[in-house]
Amino acid sequence: MTEVHHTHDVHAHGHHAPPPPRTGLRRLTGAGWLRATWMTILFGAIGFGLVVGLRALAGWDPVLQWDVLATVAFMTTAPLGFLAGLGAFDYWVYYVSGRPTRPEDHSGHGATRWSDYFRINTDHKVIGVQYLVTVFVFFILGGLAAMLFRAELAQPDLQFVDGQAYNGLISMHAALMIFLFIIPAFAGLANFAVPLMLGATDMAFPRLNALSFWLLPIAGLMLVASFLAPGGAFASGWTAYPPLSTEAPMGQIFFNMGVQWAGASSIMTALNFLVTIITMRAPGMTFWRMPLLVWANFTTSLLVVIATPFIAGSQFFILFDRIMHTNFFEVQEGGYVLGYQHIFWFYSHPAVYIMMLPGFGIISEVVAVFSRKPVFGYRLMALSLMAILVLGFSVWAHHMFVAGMADWLRVPMMVTSMIIAVPTGVKVFSWLATMWEGRLHFRTPMLFALGFLSMFVLGGLSGIFLASVPIDVHASDTYFVVAHIHYVLFGGSVFTIFAGIYYWFPKMTGRMYSEGLGKLHFWMTFVGFNGTFFPMHWVGLQGMPRRVADYAAQFGNWNLVMTIFSFLLGISTVVFLYNMIVSWARGPIAESNPWRALTLEWQVSSPPPIFNFDEIPQVVGGPYEYGVPGARHAVLHAGAATTEVREEEVVR
Amino acid sequence: MRRGSIVRMVIYGVLAGTVASLIAVLVPWLPTSASEEMDRITFTFWFTTVICIGIFAIVAAIIMYCVLKFRAAPDDERDGPPVHGHTGLEIAWTAVPAVLVTAISVVSAIVLAQNDDPGSDPLRISVTAQQFAWSFEYPGEGEQRLRSGELVLPVGRKVLLTMNAQDVIHSFWVPEFGQKKDAVPGIDTTLVITPKRIGSFSVVCTELCGLGHATMRAPVSVVSREDYDAYLARLASPPRGGGGQQGAETGEQVFNAAGCGGCHAFEPAGSDSEVGPGLDDLAGAAQNAGLGLEEFVLESIVEPDARIAPGYQGDVMPQTYETTLTAGQLDALVQYLVEGQR
Repeated sequence: MTEVHHTHDVHAHGHHAPPPPRTGLRRLTGAGWLRATWMTILFGAIGFGLVVGLRALAGWDPVLQWDVLATVAFMTTAPLGFLAGLGAFDYWVYYVSGRPTRPEDHSGHGATRWSDYFRINTDHKVIGVQYLVTVFVFFILGGLAAMLFRAELAQPDLQFVDGQAYNGLISMHAALMIFLFIIPAFAGLANFAVPLMLGATDMAFPRLNALSFWLLPIAGLMLVASFLAPGGAFASGWTAYPPLSTEAPMGQIFFNMGVQWAGASSIMTALNFLVTIITMRAPGMTFWRMPLLVWANFTTSLLVVIATPFIAGSQFFILFDRIMHTNFFEVQEGGYVLGYQHIFWFYSHPAVYIMMLPGFGIISEVVAVFSRKPVFGYRLMALSLMAILVLGFSVWAHHMFVAGMADWLRVPMMVTSMIIAVPTGVKVFSWLATMWEGRLHFRTPMLFALGFLSMFVLGGLSGIFLASVPIDVHASDTYFVVAHIHYVLFGGSVFTIFAGIYYWFPKMTGRMYSEGLGKLHFWMTFVGFNGTFFPMHWVGLQGMPRRVADYAAQFGNWNLVMTIFSFLLGISTVVFLYNMIVSWARGPIAESNPWRALTLEWQVSSPPPIFNFDEIPQVVGGPYEYGVPGARHAVLHAGAATTEVREEEVVR
Repeated sequence: MRRGSIVRMVIYGVLAGTVASLIAVLVPWLPTSASEEMDRITFTFWFTTVICIGIFAIVAAIIMYCVLKFRAAPDDERDGPPVHGHTGLEIAWTAVPAVLVTAISVVSAIVLAQNDDPGSDPLRISVTAQQFAWSFEYPGEGEQRLRSGELVLPVGRKVLLTMNAQDVIHSFWVPEFGQKKDAVPGIDTTLVITPKRIGSFSVVCTELCGLGHATMRAPVSVVSREDYDAYLARLASPPRGGGGQQGAETGEQVFNAAGCGGCHAFEPAGSDSEVGPGLDDLAGAAQNAGLGLEEFVLESIVEPDARIAPGYQGDVMPQTYETTLTAGQLDALVQYLVEGQR
């Protein structure tokens, strides 16, 4: 990441030398890790003092109420102190306090050395990489949790962990994979790719973008830290149904609050994407000329903005019942426990599309490029995303067919759940038609795209079984559901994340990954994945419930098979990490456009210049005009305009 | 599309369909049905499976064909034909799946209506779930309610279960019956089951309910109508006098009926759960408490949080056994535990 390929003059500023090293007191007061450290402690102490002081004044017993202290001091004020110390709020504080801001100072942009990734950085490309590296840390932690409980499940009875530890591990696995891996991994990929694809110099709100990233490690640490809480980690599943969660030990609060921080990060990023996509498209980039990845992130961001406040609310209800003695879910006081499930799933069903639509976008890019053909039915592809967005809000109660909710709600929710398979099917058939008669190149991203297509179809079909109420009544809360969710979230989302990472790796790092290791990673993942999750369909329907540490002896052999394959899946991740790390450090230098793609990010150097484009490109056609003689997506030279296109002027 | 390619596509499709059908038929996917509701669920399952195998075969055939037929040489830099879409095809693959899922919806809705129908005169049994045990209440003579830790059902009679939970959400499922419903604190939920096969099964809790979730089971028997009446008569016989787990007289019966084995290991009863402390060697704990063994065991049952065994948490075991068991049953249970010490 050392070379900067082009200078740029759009913004009338040159490249910046790093600021002079600070000395003395300014080291303590200047934004950075040192200030973050003491401000975290100071703000934590202020929160602590507030709670203790007010409780002492009011004469409440006990003064040291750890549930409240953890919520206020450890999980609210201390993280705010950390963000302030790191410098996330500096510009805004200067602005509101009337001090001179630094509008022309772009020192927050770009990365010239590794430490630039560890500060508040407003460059969307740096933030994209920050996201991806962070989420893979949590991917590894979540994966290790899974391997631990798979080891426990290798044989019936309890061997390694007790009930509390087991429930903690499964809850942690799901929470990390959903909130700290899949959702932010897509945010990271989109952060890198979307502004480039739009022909924009950055996101609409770069400082907000930096803030949303830094909320994420805070959320992740909060979830993981719950292992240290008295009583152990949160152990009521990632769904955290009350009254189990309202009566659980203190670790539950770490989940309640961790979700708030991750959710805030999601919402801010989504708003940023919406404004960026609506207002910062390059001249000529109409909505019908946007790459489908951009469409996908547009619809995803709408989902995030509308739905995420609901999970925030649901977790606050739990928290309030615990520490404020409200009675949302306290049955003896008139609480209604099913209310939680409705609110929770009103977010968490759209969340499965938040975790899938960006992947659809990635697959559209990859399949078109590696088939050398235009995306089949581009407009219907975009419209089906919008259809999923709308229908996604009308299916939440299919998670509650056996929950004891109003009976009449089941058939309408079944019908909408069935109908949402139609736009999803349209996408699958369109990808197949895109490959038809194409010239297919099976590079690693394309292998993961094909893996995604086949696995996601299986996950979609098992979804039809679960949408049917009578079948769901039998299969609900069993390993069949575990199989289904992993076919759509691993075979679906995670495969697309890998496809996207391999696809944009040369653009992000300027280097090429090892194709051989990439293919090895794919095949290990594909085999390990199917070996782990396919037998779950069967043991589930036969009678094995989910979330059990111990199970009937008749399922012993199959569980052993699943455990063995799950370890293969674990090892495949080592291959992936080795490939990424070594290729990033020492891989061969990548060309600017190794895949011969037409979208804008491939028309600039690898990695792209600090402000992406020397001149804002002029978009003149669709993004996937492969095989169309003379067709262009964009012209990258100001003034060349649409009338005359001269090949030599195109910046490559 | 030339005729050769169509033939190859069809071959791939038939191949994929056959493999999927073999997997569908050779693996016993669903447990052997023991209720009329499960029969209908099984029918819905196979109806959906046939449609899904068809869709899977088509998709798999196209993927296989594309991978084998359209592979480009690495140095081939040409593009494919610039086909942007085909309105007819796009309408077809929107409309056909819509029709298919609508068909599945209609079948499912009809089956659901039948599976939910309690009929005019169902046998009404109440189910109570608590961490980590099930208990059942049968209608006796007149207003009498008979309690047991075992679910016994007469074959061929529609049963309407009315369920409730005392602490957190649990879920009632007998895999062979197919039907499932959560037991929710604060509201009554219902479930219809028509057992059709005599045999022994097990209630499985399928909603995560805490430490002992994995071991929250209860025995289920489907018996002839005569045997059911005999069972009720046994429940109705002494000990009389309200409350208690009727029919449970010996300590062992009480132990099982009250669900002790769901959490505690106790060798004579054959339970090995590790949710709560084991009960095989209580002498030391009684000594530490400064109580006689019998005294200690009784206190631990009726006032479980009085002393917490090292390594365990309080507020897990129900504190209601003094009222849900009769004095005689408590006595029998204490004797059973004391006599079973190593």
